Amino acid sequence: MKSIMACQGISKSYGSGDILERVLKRVDLEFFEGQASVLVGPSGSGKTTLLSILGCLLAPSEGQLLIASEAVNFSDKSSLTEVRRQKLGFIFQHAQLLPFLTIEENLAIVGRNAGMDDDDIKQRLDGLLYRLELKAMRYKHPAQLSGGQRQRVAIARALLHRPSIVLADEPTAALDWNTGKTVVELLLEQARMEKAVLVVVTHDTRMLPLFDRILSIADGILSEQAQTAAAENIFYTQP
Amino acid sequence: MHSIVIPISIRMLTHNQMRLIMTVIGIAIAFFLAAAQIGLMVGWINTNSAIIKHAGVDIWVMAEETRAFEYGTAIPRHRIQQVASIPGVAWAEGLLTSWSLWQHPHGERINVEIIGLDRSLVGGPWMLLDGATENVIQPKTVIVDELHQKLLGVYNLGDEAEMQGSRAIIGGFSKGVRTFTALPFIFTSINNALDYSPSYNDEEITYVLARIAPNIDANDVRNRIIKEINNIEVLTTDEFAERSVKYWMLETGVGITVIITALLGLLVGAVIMSQTLFAITQDHIANYATLLALGFHQKTLRQIVLAQSLSLGGLGIIIGSILFFAACNASARSPIPLETTPTVSMGLIAFSLLCCIAASWFSIRAIFKLDPVTVFHG
Ligand SMILES: Nc1ncnc2c1ncn2[C@@H]1O[C@H](COP(=O)(O)OP(=O)(O)O)[C@@H](O)[C@H]1O
Ligand SMILES: [Mg+2]
Repeated sequence: MKSIMACQGISKSYGSGDILERVLKRVDLEFFEGQASVLVGPSGSGKTTLLSILGCLLAPSEGQLLIASEAVNFSDKSSLTEVRRQKLGFIFQHAQLLPFLTIEENLAIVGRNAGMDDDDIKQRLDGLLYRLELKAMRYKHPAQLSGGQRQRVAIARALLHRPSIVLADEPTAALDWNTGKTVVELLLEQARMEKAVLVVVTHDTRMLPLFDRILSIADGILSEQAQTAAAENIFYTQP
Repeated sequence: MHSIVIPISIRMLTHNQMRLIMTVIGIAIAFFLAAAQIGLMVGWINTNSAIIKHAGVDIWVMAEETRAFEYGTAIPRHRIQQVASIPGVAWAEGLLTSWSLWQHPHGERINVEIIGLDRSLVGGPWMLLDGATENVIQPKTVIVDELHQKLLGVYNLGDEAEMQGSRAIIGGFSKGVRTFTALPFIFTSINNALDYSPSYNDEEITYVLARIAPNIDANDVRNRIIKEINNIEVLTTDEFAERSVKYWMLETGVGITVIITALLGLLVGAVIMSQTLFAITQDHIANYATLLALGFHQKTLRQIVLAQSLSLGGLGIIIGSILFFAACNASARSPIPLETTPTVSMGLIAFSLLCCIAASWFSIRAIFKLDPVTVFHG
């Protein structure tokens, strides 16, 4: 299997001296093409911190992040932007669509920014809107959509420019169970179709059986659960 | 420039139309406010030197240490012939200015400034509403400005008042000849003026005005005049205008008040403009964070902010300018006119655009202080 992304001895501390808080301790991890992982852990355990590092949004205190076998240079802001715009797709808790653009435009600007040509963007847009059942929403503004529809747009936006990695931080936290489940199923299906590495943070243990890998953080230590046993073992992590 | 800059900028602005309209109006009013204060100052400056400039001569000969047009003191009348006989001088005549006391038909009194004109009537009113400038050649005849009708208590040709025991009959009304001191100008002939001016004797005037022959260097002529005639000062029209303006602007309380008011207008205008534009960016700060996280370059965001500031600023400045020119027109015949010059207008527009750019700069700094990580924290 093709390795897409790897953490090598990644640690992260906030603050310094007496108030030094070690959030991540020597995380080693490797992600392979088309693999869908779920990241769980108690509130404040460092899930967002790890996702931010994987997303090239936050520099680790120690260790290295490799993307496509290349070490990410966290001190060069513009190369970080470059990695984000070419290789990464993001889904946030509250979709965070641009309220002043239509759904179509929200998607198109990501394609433009990634340097796709107009025909390619149009094809991708048509395909994703169809697959995510958003065709009727194309010319609407985000405010006219329900929370679940907005998250589906966010999925389309995260995938449009064919990133090799898609990161989602609690994408269902603001949705009810049924809507949330549909969104996660769609996300998994689409990411697998695109062969993208998918990492999803969630609080909802009922989602775990849907994923290939289950990663859990506690006290800064990351561990991996066997998928079959996972559901039972992790219940204690629910808040 | 990235191809998404313009569409994103436009959508961001037009999304909330009420906000957009309020912003443009805010900038327009701020610009108008600054322009109006500066316009008052320019109008004031122009008023200060209007008679000097409108006389249309090359050289002014006067007593030494004359601080401003209104403060001229007596020099002998035969200086006119002396100046006229200097090689290079094509034409020379006199002008008399003095302060006097005007007595209304019904007894009220007010201080006035007499301007006595020589044969060619140079230095007289440049726009006449009624009557004729030539009328001042007749005995006891004067011209006053329509702006001062009420102040002087005269409303029609032929109305009469009194100065120093001599009658003054209205032979015309001028238009737009303002005064910035409280003293209205009274135009008449030198001979009439002498009757109204107790401080002058018959052989005195205030200024010799001269025109230089074609193709002669003004400085040469000036040097010759200074060499030939003692106890006088010789200034070109521009120098004398500048000296008068400087005196009223910098050495009197009124002038300094006008300057300070203009500077305050500029400051308040600048703050409102920058603040309004800064607020627009702050409204969208979360969206900028999203764009940063999604992999949009700082350069692109900088262009979006700048494009918005310049277009909003430009629109506000255009509307503010229209308001300002309307106000200039409306005030043209009032005692306090708003005026401008091409240099002042260009300077003000450049300054305003600079404020827009400064606002962008602060906005951009605020955006780049953003941690794209914040998007994960909602
Ligand atoms: N920018 C920051 N500065 C200081 N401490 C932080 C910062 N971000 C997160 N933390 C701390 O790091 C820990 C992990 O936070 P986070 O990664 O957001 O946890 P999770 O997403 O698992 O709830 C928390 O204790 C939090 O207070
Ligand atoms: Mg979190």
